[in-house]
Amino acid sequence: MISFQPTDEETAFITLAKTLAEEVLRPAARSSEEERQAAREWTIKANELGFAALELPERWGGMEMTLISQAQILEALSNGDLALVQGLPGPGDAASFMRLAPENQAFAAYRRTGEGGQWPTVAFLNACDPGVSQSINITGASFENGYVIKGISRPVKMAAFAAYLLLAAPGPDGKTRLFWLDKEQTRWRAIPGDYRLGLLASGWARVQFDDLTVTKDAVVAEGRDADRLLSRALARLRVLEAAKEVGLMTAALSYATEYTATRRAFGQELAKFQGVSFQMADMAVAVQAARLLVWRAASALDREEPEAPGLSLDALSRAHRSLRLVTDSAVQLLGGHGYVQDHPVEKWMRDAAAQIALNGGEQDLLLRRGEQLLTEERETVS
Amino acid sequence: MISYQLSPHQQQVKDIVHWFAENEMRPISLEADKIGRVPDDWLEKVNSLGITLSTATFGESDHEHMDSAASGKENERKGERQGNRLAVIAAEELGWGDAAIALTLPGPGLGGPPIQAIGTPEQKRRFLSIFNRDEPPRWGAYALTEPEAGSDVAGIQTTARKVEGGYVLNGQKIFITNGKRASWVVVFATIDRRMGRSGHRAFVVEKGTPGFSCPRLAHKMGLRASETAELVFEDCFVPDENLLGGEAYYENRQSGPSGFRVAMQTFDNTRPIIAAMAVGIARAAYESTLDMVRRDYPKRGRPFQLAAGTLANIEQEIQSARLLTWEAAWRADIGRPNAKEAAMCKAYAGKMVVDVCAKCLELFGTAGLDGQWVEKWYRDAKIFDIFEGTNQIQHLIIARHLYAPFGVRV
Repeated sequence: MISFQPTDEETAFITLAKTLAEEVLRPAARSSEEERQAAREWTIKANELGFAALELPERWGGMEMTLISQAQILEALSNGDLALVQGLPGPGDAASFMRLAPENQAFAAYRRTGEGGQWPTVAFLNACDPGVSQSINITGASFENGYVIKGISRPVKMAAFAAYLLLAAPGPDGKTRLFWLDKEQTRWRAIPGDYRLGLLASGWARVQFDDLTVTKDAVVAEGRDADRLLSRALARLRVLEAAKEVGLMTAALSYATEYTATRRAFGQELAKFQGVSFQMADMAVAVQAARLLVWRAASALDREEPEAPGLSLDALSRAHRSLRLVTDSAVQLLGGHGYVQDHPVEKWMRDAAAQIALNGGEQDLLLRRGEQLLTEERETVS
Repeated sequence: MISYQLSPHQQQVKDIVHWFAENEMRPISLEADKIGRVPDDWLEKVNSLGITLSTATFGESDHEHMDSAASGKENERKGERQGNRLAVIAAEELGWGDAAIALTLPGPGLGGPPIQAIGTPEQKRRFLSIFNRDEPPRWGAYALTEPEAGSDVAGIQTTARKVEGGYVLNGQKIFITNGKRASWVVVFATIDRRMGRSGHRAFVVEKGTPGFSCPRLAHKMGLRASETAELVFEDCFVPDENLLGGEAYYENRQSGPSGFRVAMQTFDNTRPIIAAMAVGIARAAYESTLDMVRRDYPKRGRPFQLAAGTLANIEQEIQSARLLTWEAAWRADIGRPNAKEAAMCKAYAGKMVVDVCAKCLELFGTAGLDGQWVEKWYRDAKIFDIFEGTNQIQHLIIARHLYAPFGVRV
């Protein structure tokens, strides 16, 4: 039955997340940006309430929530501040891989480490993404001899703080490999950079591999197994990232609505100029369209529908488009006030641009979706 | 819980209506467009099958309750209204088949919702019971727009002067779907222009009433098989019993916007249906173009890449419009206000269908101009961004709802 009604449990979580967003995340956004790190109060509360483990499997002590529930909660949290949500210590994007392969031996030590509820930080580097060139090279012919990884990545979220790295990269034979790299045991390095655009509390860093030798123990999956796991995890991640984007655009919409309702020019509220109110209407529709596509993809993935991965491409590309429109429009509608840091909209526009760069451009996602539609190829869902 | 799964009953309605669209509407679609009308024998045939255009057609019924109960599913709560969701599901399929023919299907059409909403039991019986498969095909119509009052609904000039036993109507209505063939028309008029919206009244004017005439049918860019009439009322006497809702309805709402409210509430129900038809047209164009590109385009290179990106964008736009439409219908079903959502889906779908059809035409190139549905769909599409409230009016409604919490009236 078609319904848009959240469950009672979801409503309770959303209420909690909204409170946290309003009382902790939003007030800490600027200072966290200056300190280039998530506020401690946020990370403590997130751990206490389980927000760092929404995606982790129950048998690991995680929440193992459905994507439709997570989408709503992440939207509510990101409404507070997206950079802080992205900068939350813990398993991060790797949680989706753990969710899908909970018994994988490569994750065993991490699982034990986090049993007390404190999950060390993991960064995820996808060097298999055909839309993103990475100067990472893997050599070596077999497990027996190990692989040698060399090169330097593009900037990666949370790499600056990560104790572990989950790396997806093509091996010497062109087949996909997924590696789990413990920073203490391997020699990958996080290279700081000069980051000024956005999501500045989320630990941007490049990852450098200096002829790093890895053994069989570090391989999470290879070949078809790796492709399958990567494809399934990426579909989940697209939905989760798109949900966060809906949270950010909702913040910008709300702020611009209130501002234009109260700010006066030429003797009346800005809202009374149709050039303003119609733009606001476009923003509201863009937000709702993105939200419903995110829910559609989340619901389809939860149900393991064959179309689900394609819908996740739809959701993320639409979210990118709406996010760009809404955050840019919010700055525009505040005029000069939108451009200065007295108001949060300039930060949201910067965060939005960084978020889109982080998650693959709208056109690339559309093209991939289009190729699926024309060739009727489907990614793996189960 | 949030769900996009069709219930067995919703799926059944979708499948049945799709079958009808594919096997009964599509075969006559291009010919109907060419001759500018839907053949009478076809209308008689579908009427005898009991197929009508009415939001009530797909609404609550004993059958629906039996179906839901028989499924035994807890999430299909017995008695949960789903008429609006069923209506938009069906409307999408009808739009996919042929929107002009869909609007010409026998039945009360857009005139049905106001009668259902505020009609007295007697009026509902008199005006809605005439649509019967055992009778000749009949239509209802909805007459609001005037030459000087299109989007500005509040500015209608048609007058209703109270006289002994009824009202005398004078004025002109334009762009009235099925206005000439209709057995009755819901006509909006003002009892006193100085009263503004609170002076509005809705009347059911029956065909053949002295002073009521249809001097002209419009020739249009698209939807050519659909009848678009101009109606004239010259000292047209309408009895009291044809005042929609009766005198009591308006007496109880002295401080409210009366007939204006009726017109607006009708839009909250009909805009999602119109939006769903737009989604159906867009889907038809998309599916046709997807088939053509798969068949005729090179499998790699620049044209393939361009087509892939364009088709993905189109598919996403259709999905977005459909979900906005479903949400508006769902809110109506569960009794929540849906004016903002109805405006959102109408604004989005109306613009989307024009963009989608234009992009499909581009992908077809000149091949799309010669005897192809895609050029017809493009011509049909544009009106969906205009009727039932233009895109600009929808923006105004959305904005009003956004600013309402701040006490700002835009």
